[in-house]
Amino acid sequence: MRSSTLASATSAAAPAPPRAPSIWRFFRRDALATLAAVFLVLIVMIALTASILIPYAYDRQDLETTLRGPHWAHLLGTDNFGRDVLARVAFGARISLTVAAVAVAAEVIVGTLWGTLAGLSGGNVDAWMMRVVDLLIAFPNLLLAILITGIFGPSLVNIIVALVTTAWPGMSRVVRSEVVALREREFVEAARALGATTRRIVGRHLLPNVLHLVAARSTLDVSAIILVEAALSFVGVGVQPPQPSWGLMINEAFPYLRSQPYLLAIPAVFLSLTVISLNILGESLADALDPHRRRR
Amino acid sequence: MLGAALLIFVAGRIAPGDPVAIRLGDTYDERAARAIRKELGLDRPIWTQFVRYVAAAARLDFGESFIYPGRRIDRIVRQTLPLSLRLTALAVASAALVGLSLGVISSVRARSRLDRALQVLVVVALSVPNFVVAALLVLVFALWLRALPVAGIGPWQSYVLPVAVLAVAPTAYITRITRTSMLRVMAEDYIRTAHGKGLARPRIVFRHVLRNAALPIVTTIGLAFGYTLTGSFIVEIIFNIPGMARVGVEGILQRDYTVIQAVVLVYTSLFILANLAVDLSYAFFNPRIRY
Repeated sequence: MRSSTLASATSAAAPAPPRAPSIWRFFRRDALATLAAVFLVLIVMIALTASILIPYAYDRQDLETTLRGPHWAHLLGTDNFGRDVLARVAFGARISLTVAAVAVAAEVIVGTLWGTLAGLSGGNVDAWMMRVVDLLIAFPNLLLAILITGIFGPSLVNIIVALVTTAWPGMSRVVRSEVVALREREFVEAARALGATTRRIVGRHLLPNVLHLVAARSTLDVSAIILVEAALSFVGVGVQPPQPSWGLMINEAFPYLRSQPYLLAIPAVFLSLTVISLNILGESLADALDPHRRRR
Repeated sequence: MLGAALLIFVAGRIAPGDPVAIRLGDTYDERAARAIRKELGLDRPIWTQFVRYVAAAARLDFGESFIYPGRRIDRIVRQTLPLSLRLTALAVASAALVGLSLGVISSVRARSRLDRALQVLVVVALSVPNFVVAALLVLVFALWLRALPVAGIGPWQSYVLPVAVLAVAPTAYITRITRTSMLRVMAEDYIRTAHGKGLARPRIVFRHVLRNAALPIVTTIGLAFGYTLTGSFIVEIIFNIPGMARVGVEGILQRDYTVIQAVVLVYTSLFILANLAVDLSYAFFNPRIRY
């Protein structure tokens, strides 16, 4: 007998392995989440096509037309070096989103592996692994990230390392507590009784059941990571000029707040809307994927 | 905390960039460098350095700044920390006040239009980064209305904007948690009983519901303290406030290791202490928990 058949038979009583609810039904029910998703798709498209659609390079300076408001040649105006703001916003999206995507992917892998390993091992190994997590969580996020990029230098790799370092402990804690709970459930015991290897139990029974938590959490983490990256760049230990990043653009626009407020408003609006959309989407996902959590 | 200290210490030592070289600048020569290393204790084995460091830190003696010899770090801490703490405390206090009220209103009027609007506001407040909030408030209140100073710290007016910026995120968190946890308690049987006994509604809301919903709210307020401390890094830079977080950022940019270590150690300790205070307060709010 294939153990998976048995698992699906027992799972009626055990946690329904979150069957992906039809994506369309999810979006039809939730207009706000749909709006958020559409906006995010739009941002990603802008980031991807930036070099084709926009006739200016993000670092091309034109000192004759500095600090101009929006007009036909420059749809969103120019900054203090005469650089095209639209180009900078678009390339900034590319950098911010790439950094966030890589960081979240790494965080999911490290966090899930660490959490699963700790949860499975139990005993002393578990205790020590979780102590490492406690240690990292004891640091305030932003402080830890500033410390890493500040000391090791603000290269893109270091920025990503800093972001992953702040994010994975939380993920591994979530995964571990779920694995510890699942480990003792009947369907896992049944699989073990049938002689399934540990690897098979993890792959077929444990991971699929923690995946909904990982999915919801990582969506929310994307927004947290984008915020930390923006803050790093804002402080000056993140993305370095002349490369654009939304946080950096906001920082560079601060001196012109009085005379050219739109210069700050544009990246601020993009940054805020992106994070708002991610948060809305993340929470809707958490609600939709978790059978225990009902929308209030 | 010892673990955190070790991590900070090691990070400072394995980092690239030699502070001795920075300090000597163009006048670098091997003999002078060795003299300075000896003076700073950098020639000792790394474990000796660490033990001496922790022992000194426990006495709040963080040594001198690497870059500016003669500037005692404990004095820097004493000058700048109270200001940072005052800002944080004011922000958390106002956040608790506003957040609690909004949360209670929201839960009493659950699903009303007001409640929905508040929910959206909460998501927005949690999503918009604090430097954007700062820019917005500075633009409106300092540049357009000229009602409040743009930056610096002095009379009470100068506290308003920084505290407001720091308070936005925790207010939203506290509102959300208050609402959720009030609603959960309102679904309990004993609340129905209280209604059945004919108790007045305000009495039920404040005596029965709020009291039983207090635990997660207190937790959030405690955690908010920790996160607001971190938020002060950005706010102190924007508003040009001579607080400790700004000292820390400057230290990081200049690789002033002893300053960085001190700032990180102090902030991490405060963060951990805030969480500890939360744990201890559980016993007060829930008599079933005893330590």
